[in-house]
Amino acid sequence: MLAYPGGRASSAPARVLIAAAYAEALLAVAVLALVRDPYLDPSCLANCNVNAFLVRSLPSLARAVEIADRWFAAAAAAALIAICAARLVAGSRLARRRLLPVAVPAIMFAAAAAARAIALQRTTVEDPFNAALFTIFAVADLAIIFLATGLISAVVRARAERRAIARIAVNLDEAPPLGSLQSALAETLHDPDLRIAYWLPGTQRYVDASGHPVPEPAAKSGGTVTRLMRSGRTIAAITHSGAAPGLDSHLGPAIALGLENERLQAELLFRLGQLRGSWARIVETSDAERRRLERDLHDGAQQHLLALSYDIRLARASAEADGDTAAQMTLATAMEETRAALEELRELAHGIYPAVLAEAGLAPALATLADTAPLPVQIRRADNRRYPAPVEAAAYFTVAETVDDAARRGADRAAVTLAQERGRLVVTVEDNGTDRDAPMIALADRVGALGGSLHLKQTACRAEIPCASS
Amino acid sequence: MRVVVAEDVMLTREGITRLLTDAGIDVVGEAGDAAALLRAVRATQPDAAVVDIRMPPTHTDEGLVAAQQIRAEHPDIGVLILSQYIEPRYAMRLIEEHPERVGYLLKERVFDVANLTDALRRLADGETVVDPTIVARIFARKRLAGPLDKLTEREREVLALVAEGRSNRAIATRLFVTERTIEAHVKQIFLKLGLNTDPGSHRRVLAVLAYLRSMT
Repeated sequence: MLAYPGGRASSAPARVLIAAAYAEALLAVAVLALVRDPYLDPSCLANCNVNAFLVRSLPSLARAVEIADRWFAAAAAAALIAICAARLVAGSRLARRRLLPVAVPAIMFAAAAAARAIALQRTTVEDPFNAALFTIFAVADLAIIFLATGLISAVVRARAERRAIARIAVNLDEAPPLGSLQSALAETLHDPDLRIAYWLPGTQRYVDASGHPVPEPAAKSGGTVTRLMRSGRTIAAITHSGAAPGLDSHLGPAIALGLENERLQAELLFRLGQLRGSWARIVETSDAERRRLERDLHDGAQQHLLALSYDIRLARASAEADGDTAAQMTLATAMEETRAALEELRELAHGIYPAVLAEAGLAPALATLADTAPLPVQIRRADNRRYPAPVEAAAYFTVAETVDDAARRGADRAAVTLAQERGRLVVTVEDNGTDRDAPMIALADRVGALGGSLHLKQTACRAEIPCASS
Repeated sequence: MRVVVAEDVMLTREGITRLLTDAGIDVVGEAGDAAALLRAVRATQPDAAVVDIRMPPTHTDEGLVAAQQIRAEHPDIGVLILSQYIEPRYAMRLIEEHPERVGYLLKERVFDVANLTDALRRLADGETVVDPTIVARIFARKRLAGPLDKLTEREREVLALVAEGRSNRAIATRLFVTERTIEAHVKQIFLKLGLNTDPGSHRRVLAVLAYLRSMT
């Protein structure tokens, strides 16, 4: 009972109890065999033959040992009840369900054994017609019948499960969806909490079937972790809320193949996730760099040009006062040049990263884009909702680049629509130019880096960008 | 006229101060950030404040925020924002809450002292100032055929001056006509464009800018 269902006692108290029971039984039997003389035992009823092992008749010692033996039996039975009850309480729902058919008869039997030991301390004769003793015997017998039934049903169920596990592979399609092995195993073992974690030796971590890192699998109370090994290497670990002795060996060859296949897929997905992360970081870094550059232009070069234009004005004023017309002319030209330089610098900074995009968001930035676009740009359904900076930047540059492209293809109008659909910001740009001839790879890269997608048609462009709207 | 100048780049601040002083304007306070600006304004109660849009700590829109605060606390003090951005949104944000006595001027135009003193004088008169470059850009926006095409050349001219924040009287003086003529023009323009704002109010600047930006 204590070793059920794993085949080995799982806790230290259980092991101590088993060892103590064996030791005590051995000791009691040995002592009684050597010193108990049935002829001198007044309560002898069952075993009153000649004791062939008798070394020396010591009736008082024999009596004391018998009493102690009974107290021990009562104590051991109580301990068994406690351990079974503790396992029932601590185990998961599934483990409890598995344990009940064995643990309840065990508790019943132990209670009967304890009651018998205590009853025998009171009476010298184990009289089957005594009502109390009769009840005790009846309970114990029933318990044994229940226990046998429980064990048999456990064996039958375990065999059925083993066959089911071996059969799982049959139900798997040629291209099973991610995690289908896990759900198939979970269904077979009636354990919704069953998890398969795949081991990636390269990065020394566990991932789930979709490649997301998961913590090192650890057994919960009453549960087990089965590590699946192939040619000496761990390939996966199965966390199961119940006990699953020999799970590894019961998996059929087809499911083993499926596991290896899913592990390879998980590894691929994990690598893809890492790649996507670094891709997104590259775009984010380049955006941050663009913003820094824009600020530097405003705070550095532009300030110097402003100071220069101020100095030129002062020089021109003094040339005017001196009546130096030649200098006045030159300085007027210089003034004009400075103005043009400031203008160019401003456009450059705006093209690198529009300040209004960071400060006010997508809709205002698109309105400004429409102010200066080379063709009429209609903006539909733009509200002032804010999105994470990389999303806003990707959407903005999508519009900026497709509008430029539309103008290049001779369009005389473009329409931009913003919409939010199922956690994605959807930006569409339609124009009436000639058919598209360039694939817009840089744009596809930028959108793809955020896990989005860019769909290009002849005169339409649709970008879907995942966004956690704020 | 007494003004406070707020600009974090010392070179530019000194240049502006000197230009204003040369033009006979009394610079009663200088500040390098928004907090110092608000202190200076409270202490000196000037006629106007000349404020850089980008100031520490974030160098984004501190100037705009400070401008709104000054306008809310001191309704008689004008605020002239100096900006390096041809960004209609910033100008509109500035005039959204307090459309009178606020101005948005491109920084490079400040060194043309006539521009600067003219803008300050207009603020003192209770006008709004929107940089002509911004108005020109919104007007130049590429559009499909629409209500704007129904305006006459003269009406477009008047509309641009309205968008710059000028009063009917100022427009009349500029175009050498009577104020009543301009009033009639403005009414006609608003009718043609379907604008519901009172054509005589300060709100008309914002209404016109918003209209021009929404028309494709």
